[in-house]
Amino acid sequence: MSTDRYSRQSFLGSNSEELISRCTIGVVGLGGGGSHIVQQLAHIGFQRYILYDDDVVEESNLNRLIGAGTIDVLAGTQKLHIAKMRIYALQPKASVRGFACKWQENPEPLRECQIVLGCVDSYRAREELEIACRRYLMHYIDIGMDVHGKEQLSIGGQIILSSPGSLCMKCMGFLTDEKLAKEASDYGNAGPRPQVVWPNGVLASTAVGLAVDIVTDWTRSRRPYAYLVYDGNRATVKESPALRNITITTCPHFPESEVGDPVLIGL
Amino acid sequence: MRIEIKLTGNLYNEIVQDLARPHAFAAERLGFVFGRMGTLSDKGFAVLLNRYHSIPDSQYLEDLTVGARIGSEAITWAMQAIYYGRPTHEGIFLIHVHGHKGETGMSEVDSREQSKLIPGFQSVGRASAHGIIILSLNHGSSWVWLPTYKEPRRADCISVIGAPVGVFERREEK
Repeated sequence: MSTDRYSRQSFLGSNSEELISRCTIGVVGLGGGGSHIVQQLAHIGFQRYILYDDDVVEESNLNRLIGAGTIDVLAGTQKLHIAKMRIYALQPKASVRGFACKWQENPEPLRECQIVLGCVDSYRAREELEIACRRYLMHYIDIGMDVHGKEQLSIGGQIILSSPGSLCMKCMGFLTDEKLAKEASDYGNAGPRPQVVWPNGVLASTAVGLAVDIVTDWTRSRRPYAYLVYDGNRATVKESPALRNITITTCPHFPESEVGDPVLIGL
Repeated sequence: MRIEIKLTGNLYNEIVQDLARPHAFAAERLGFVFGRMGTLSDKGFAVLLNRYHSIPDSQYLEDLTVGARIGSEAITWAMQAIYYGRPTHEGIFLIHVHGHKGETGMSEVDSREQSKLIPGFQSVGRASAHGIIILSLNHGSSWVWLPTYKEPRRADCISVIGAPVGVFERREEK
């Protein structure tokens, strides 16, 4: 199966091509972050995709949506279609199962993944996706960016790996009840979030790097979790200081015994 | 109908380490691993393994005709565990290792013994999936008796969700 095509990434391991091609990978959200991600996954050689996005291309997306052009705004092209075209252009034999809906409306296909990359906008959406990944045993890699401040603006972002059996986004201090409550109270008032192409590219590339490492084990780091923060002003990606304060080794929020759909038990 | 087995890397390592321990007289070890069913697309099923029970040394029987044989005490324990797991539809899988690399299959002994064991598991846990999992040194295969099914279906894939990820696919003709 190996050809010259992957000769420059042979350092990933002699069987990396096979390992990558066997992995089923999910991408939820195919906008600024997700469009970078699917393109990179296809370059690397992933063959099996489960994709979700219910949105169409709008003019305000063109500053960052990889693969979209002005014609797509006029045509109202689905972001899902853009992602599929990027994948098929690089991997014509790929299995791409795409759904132009919210993943919650059709969650079963997602459950076949070994790794899910989440490119969603809200804390609540991240929490829901992480819960699904825990209950159906999938690695979850989250990315997100924002612009903070009023006078001195700063670009920030995160890349998080949350794996079943290890620490979750709450354990790592990223998701908190306060953040979720504030977001719920601000619902509808937050306005459009600032998004630009280069931070999305950094975050997506780092997330893809984590995914490739999980599949191929090329670094032998075998990290059970990761929380990396992006500082767009300094152009750095570093491990989150929040990890220094963690004293637990087992996640209290997702016991390993709690898998599958919740069931009601009669008392 | 697609059937996928999933387990965490932690659970996989726990199982492999336990089954690799030598026994005083048995040539191999057996264990019980528990799992719950979930739904996949196109009427498929996931079996999500969530805990492991190591069979105590004293519950093995001396029998030179097989790699390992467990006694009624171990089987009774499994039946009780299934009974108590009924509210959450928890099923049980007998697991052991074949000491070679690559995809593995059921031996004649595996096939014969399972056909005796599984109906008993099904009689206690009717709404659960039960079966057998055989790991090799770098792969794995599983036969799943879905609720009410009299014959097993071969699982299409066993996914180990750890670092690294393991994807053990069924390769032979269906």
